[in-house]
Amino acid sequence: MTDVATTTPETTLSRGAAFRANLPAGWGTAAVVAGAWVLLIIVSGIHRADFLSHQTVLAISFTMAIVGVLAVAQALVGISGGILDLSQPTGLIMSAAIVAWLLERNVPTAVVVVAGILVGAVWGFANATIVVVAKLNPIIVTLATNFIGGAVMFLVYQNAQAPLNSSFSAFGRGYFLGLPNIWWPMVILILVVGYFLPRTRYGRHMIAVGGNRFAAQTRGISLKKTRFAVFSIAGAITGGAGVLFACSNGPFAPTAGATFQLPVIASVILAGCSLAGGRGSIWLILLSVGFLSTVPTSLVFFGLNSNWQQVFQGMILIVAVSIDGWRARRLLK
Amino acid sequence: MTTGTSSLIVSGLDRHRLRDIATGSVTSIAVALVIVVVVGLSAIGPDFLSASNITIIGSFVAIPMLVAAFAGFALLAGVVDLSIGSMLGLSSNVCAWLMVAGWPLWAAIPVALVACLICGAINATAVVIFGADTIAATLGMLVALRGITFIISGSVGMIPAFDPNFFAFINLTAGPLPVIFLISLALIALAAIIVMRTRIGRHVQAVGGDDRAASRAGISVTGVRFVALLLSALGAGIGGVLYVGQLGSASNYTGTGLEFQVYAAMMIGGYSILRGGVGNPLGAALGLLVVAGTSNIIDVKAISPYLTNAIIGLLLLAAVLLDRLRGGDAFE
Repeated sequence: MTDVATTTPETTLSRGAAFRANLPAGWGTAAVVAGAWVLLIIVSGIHRADFLSHQTVLAISFTMAIVGVLAVAQALVGISGGILDLSQPTGLIMSAAIVAWLLERNVPTAVVVVAGILVGAVWGFANATIVVVAKLNPIIVTLATNFIGGAVMFLVYQNAQAPLNSSFSAFGRGYFLGLPNIWWPMVILILVVGYFLPRTRYGRHMIAVGGNRFAAQTRGISLKKTRFAVFSIAGAITGGAGVLFACSNGPFAPTAGATFQLPVIASVILAGCSLAGGRGSIWLILLSVGFLSTVPTSLVFFGLNSNWQQVFQGMILIVAVSIDGWRARRLLK
Repeated sequence: MTTGTSSLIVSGLDRHRLRDIATGSVTSIAVALVIVVVVGLSAIGPDFLSASNITIIGSFVAIPMLVAAFAGFALLAGVVDLSIGSMLGLSSNVCAWLMVAGWPLWAAIPVALVACLICGAINATAVVIFGADTIAATLGMLVALRGITFIISGSVGMIPAFDPNFFAFINLTAGPLPVIFLISLALIALAAIIVMRTRIGRHVQAVGGDDRAASRAGISVTGVRFVALLLSALGAGIGGVLYVGQLGSASNYTGTGLEFQVYAAMMIGGYSILRGGVGNPLGAALGLLVVAGTSNIIDVKAISPYLTNAIIGLLLLAAVLLDRLRGGDAFE
């Protein structure tokens, strides 16, 4: 596990105590999430044997792809103490819309992909600028920029779609080793970020800032540079999700990103990332996203429509943050 | 405003209260309201203050204002409830659904309110008892309740529930002002008196301002926050029921985004959704009038309604910046 531990602010836990306190948060969380996932699959399989089919695997992995990529971005913001990025839906769709617009003008696919990622990075950088310069809480800033960005997109376009006859769209609908093409970049991203975050200097700086920003500052880490870096990287990843979204989806409106917000936040918290920062495992996101992406497919097999999906996702988030809060209190004691 | 804790210790500061109000958030928001009126008059002309337009603005702002009067206690106690918009939708749809099922109004309303109180209790349990992050937990409730509202409202997505007496009562006017607007104003005034003049109000301020100090002073932080979240839910419930009367129906979209509009307005009026202990119901009422006036100008001038969201977003940023300059916590 890549569970990372830094001493919590306002407490003077010894290294050993911090390690012990975090140990269950790593393996324990993994076991709980994996257990819940297996249980969900078994129950659905008993209810309807045809649940256990390749078709189900495809539906789940398709859902996982974009949620998983967005969850990595959200986790980086959370672990580094930026709390939450509520502007992700706008970043995602802004990138996807520009990707579709460029493809319609026969721009080479490689350029389009880079442009999509850059749009996301610029969006993240813009958010970081407001956070750092005005010294405002990222939750409020991103809430407001999501409002503004969504409204501005509506003024520019109502509906966008990547050209269906392009190789780009063919990639989005294609399969590799029996799983959707768009599933693989997500897995690679999670494995790579999860490996490098606790093993590189900059990764550890990010974790340190999230754990105790004042201690990090006295060690010579610049908070401002870290904020700019984290929001820009997270934005670039969100832009990458926008590219995957554009190649795998039909026509989309400026509001199409809103449905991702909740599953992303829930999977990040389920993966043990504390909203207080400094704690969390990227690799665990693979498990939590897998579990949460199975819920909608499973509900369909129980004859419940997508409205129930919202009810379950909301309830899962409430339970997840309750556990997170309970754990944080125990850690402080 | 003096903060809750200091007013507990030095009640002699009370005589400075009027002066504090004069220089504080309420004044700045009153200035903003004057600016809106001036812009409205210059953009639309004297019709902006005509009796019919005032009736329109009054009935538009009445229910959000009532919701704000209750939600203000949760903000003041430092536990923002993002689910009020969905909760209002739930109450609206439960009430309409029961009316269609043949229930009399006097029986349908309490059921809708109890449904909201149960959801409020779930919020409070997660946030106060388990220590869940308030924004994340109530965001979960926001989505869950919207799902339930979609399920109740069925495939049509709309429940027509027209009650002529209820409709007539909600749309009653006294001069140019709707009676329901006056009721909301009275509730705001009552909330303002509770916050500024009573021991309970000072306790809520103290809990929101510094929960450890409040706890040392013998105030039950858990109790105050739990009740504050219940009050917030109750306000949303009442708002939802009133919308059934005003619109003669409930839809799956009733209340969507209301929480952001109300909180943006309240933050413009001096509240903070990130720290408790600040804000005044009078400021909230003025903030809502500023937003309502702005939307009205956009409506009358037939500018794209999407622009309203952009303006609310900008106002929200301006409001938090103002709050920080006023002494709110800076981020890093």
